[in-house]
Amino acid sequence: MPRAYRPYERTPLLTEDGRRLLQQLEEHPNKPQFNDHCGDFLTAAGLDQVRAFQRRLLGAAGGWLPGEKPAWLEAYAAELADKVPFFRSRASQPARFEDLPFTSRADLSRAPEAFVPDDLPLDDLIRFNTSGATGHPLTVVSHPVVASLHLPLIQTALEWRGARMQGGPGRVAMAMVCFQKTTITCASISAVLDQAGFVKVNLDPGDWKHPDDRARFLDACAPEVYSGDPLSFAELMRLPLTQRPKALISTSMALQPGFHQALEAHFNCPVIDLYSLNETGPVAAGVPGRQMILPHQLYVEIIDPQGNPCPPGVRGEVTLTGGFNPYVPLLRYRTGDWASLDFQGRQPLLVDLEGRLPVVFYTPQGQAVNNIDVTILLKPYALAQFNLHQAADGRLTLTYLPAGPVDEARLRHSLEILFGPQQALTIQQRAAPLDGGSKQLQYTTEMPL
Amino acid sequence: MEQGPLIESLLRHLINCPDDFLAAPRLGSQGVVEVAAVVSDLLRELGGEALNPEQASRFSGTFSAQQQNRLQVILIGCWLLHEPWFRQRANLARPARAWLTKGLDGLSEMVSAKKLISDPDRREELVRLCLNALALCPAGETEAQAQDRLSTLDSVERQRVMRASAAAEQKRQREIRERLEREEAERAVPKYTRE
Repeated sequence: MPRAYRPYERTPLLTEDGRRLLQQLEEHPNKPQFNDHCGDFLTAAGLDQVRAFQRRLLGAAGGWLPGEKPAWLEAYAAELADKVPFFRSRASQPARFEDLPFTSRADLSRAPEAFVPDDLPLDDLIRFNTSGATGHPLTVVSHPVVASLHLPLIQTALEWRGARMQGGPGRVAMAMVCFQKTTITCASISAVLDQAGFVKVNLDPGDWKHPDDRARFLDACAPEVYSGDPLSFAELMRLPLTQRPKALISTSMALQPGFHQALEAHFNCPVIDLYSLNETGPVAAGVPGRQMILPHQLYVEIIDPQGNPCPPGVRGEVTLTGGFNPYVPLLRYRTGDWASLDFQGRQPLLVDLEGRLPVVFYTPQGQAVNNIDVTILLKPYALAQFNLHQAADGRLTLTYLPAGPVDEARLRHSLEILFGPQQALTIQQRAAPLDGGSKQLQYTTEMPL
Repeated sequence: MEQGPLIESLLRHLINCPDDFLAAPRLGSQGVVEVAAVVSDLLRELGGEALNPEQASRFSGTFSAQQQNRLQVILIGCWLLHEPWFRQRANLARPARAWLTKGLDGLSEMVSAKKLISDPDRREELVRLCLNALALCPAGETEAQAQDRLSTLDSVERQRVMRASAAAEQKRQREIRERLEREEAERAVPKYTRE
C-alpha cells in the first residue's frame, strides 16, 4: 500500500486559494469516485527550473533546415557517449552522427538505470510504468520537475492554434477525460499553472454515482482545456455539456481527420492532435496528418528499413534524439511509429504519422495495398476507432466505432475501388470501444509476407 | 631489431590523421570507406601486392559496433603506416599486412578508435605497437627501453582502471534501481496527456 501524502506534501507550493479549490473539487456533490491523490511535488527550486524551461521555449529558434542538423546535436551525442553508461559501453564512437547505432524500446526496457547520466542527482526520482500494450513494458525514470515540463510544451501547442491556457487561482485549467473500465482518477493543483486545478476523470458511467453527474461535474469545473483520446472525446461529445473549452488535446490514438472536424464543430474550438510518448513526452502537435515538432531540444530523423535516413517526403520510422527528460536521454531512438518529414522554413513537421510498422494488404489479384492508402481513404469518415484486418484467405474486415454518422455504403464503395470489386469485405459497426478501449492496432493481417 | 623512425615524427603524423581515415568503414549497408581497398593501396605503396579476395574478406562483414570499431582502428593503422619513413622501405608490406589483419584486434576490443588520435597515451601505444609488429626499434631507444615503455602503456593497466570504474558504475546503477523500487518513486504525479 503506497504511503498517503498530505495535500501540502503532494503540492509543496499549495496556497490557500489552491487548497480551497482542491477541497471544492474533491468534495463536489457530483464528483466521480476519485480513487487516488496526486500532486506536482514541485518545490520552489523545481518551479524555477520549469519557468526557465518556459522562457527557453519562448525564445527558442528551434528546428533545422532539410539536409542540416541542429547545432547542438554533435556535442549532445558526445556528451552522452561520455556520461551515460549505456552509450559509453559501446566499443565504437563513430565520427559521423549518421553512423551511430540506434537505440530501441527494448534497450530502455532492459535497463532504464543504464540511461541515467553519471552527473544527475538521484534525489526525488519517480517512475512511470507502462504496460507495453504495443511494445515492451517500460519503466520510465522521471522527476517531478520533468513531469511539470509537459505543461509549457502543452501551452506552446495550444498557442500554435491560437488558444491559451491561463490557469490561475480558482480555475480548472485542464480536465483529462478517459473512457475505460478502470483507471486512476484524481484532482490536483498545479504550481506551474498558478494554483489552477487539474482533474482526471473516467467517463465510464460506473465511476460516478449517477451517469448525469459526468456533465454536471465537468460543467462545474469548466476546464479551459480537455485532454483525452478519440474514444473519450467521442463519449464527451455525447454529454449535454453547457460549458465550452478553449481547446481539446487528443493523444494516444490516431485521430481521424473526419472526427477531428466533427470535434472542432461540436466544441467550437481548436482540437490539437498531439504526438506524445511515455519515453519522451510531447514530440509534435498540430492537426491530423501535419504535426509540427515542438521546439525543445529534439532532433527527428526518418529512417528507412535498411537504417538509412530518408529525405523529406519519404516515409520511414520516426527516430528521436534529445528530449527534455534528462533521466532518459535519447540517441537515435526508434519509436516504432511511421511518418515522413516536411519543413516550413526551419520548422520540421511530421506528415501522416501512424503507429507501428506499415502493414501490406493484398487485393484478390495479389496486388499490394499499403495501409497508408487505406488511411487516406478513411480520412473523411467520422471514426472514433477502427481496425482493418485481412484474414489468411484474403477476406477483409473493417470494424469501427463511429464518432458520428458514417455513410457505410460510401465507405464500402471506397474500399472496393482500392481493393477491387471481387474483394470479400465485411464492415462491422460497434457500439462499444474495440478491445475494451485500450490502444488498438489499426491494421492487422494474417497474410504471409 | 632494426632501427626505426623517431616516435615523435610518427606521433605528429598520427595527430594529422585526415577525416577520410576517420569516416565510418563500410559494413553491410552502413558506412562509406571500403577498408580492404585502403589496405590494398597501402600495401602497394609499401612495395607489396594488393589483398587477394580471401585476405580482403577480413576487412568487411556485417555491421556490429565491435566490427565497426575494429575497422576504424585498422584505418587509423593504415594512416600511420602511410608515413613517408615506412613508404621509403620496400620490405614492410608483409608484416604490415599481418599487423592490420590480426594485430589490432585486441586493442580495438578495448579502445575506441577516436581515442587513438585524441588520447596522447593511446596514440603512443598505437605507434609503439606498430613498430613492434614491424620488428623496428624506435630511433634513439634501446630495445629494452622500447619494450619497457610499451609495457607501461599496455592496455592491461587500463583494464584494471576500467574494472574499477565499472564497479563504480554498477554501484550507481544498483542505487538507481533501489530508489526506483522505493515507495517515494510511486508518488502520483499527474500526467497531463495520455500516452
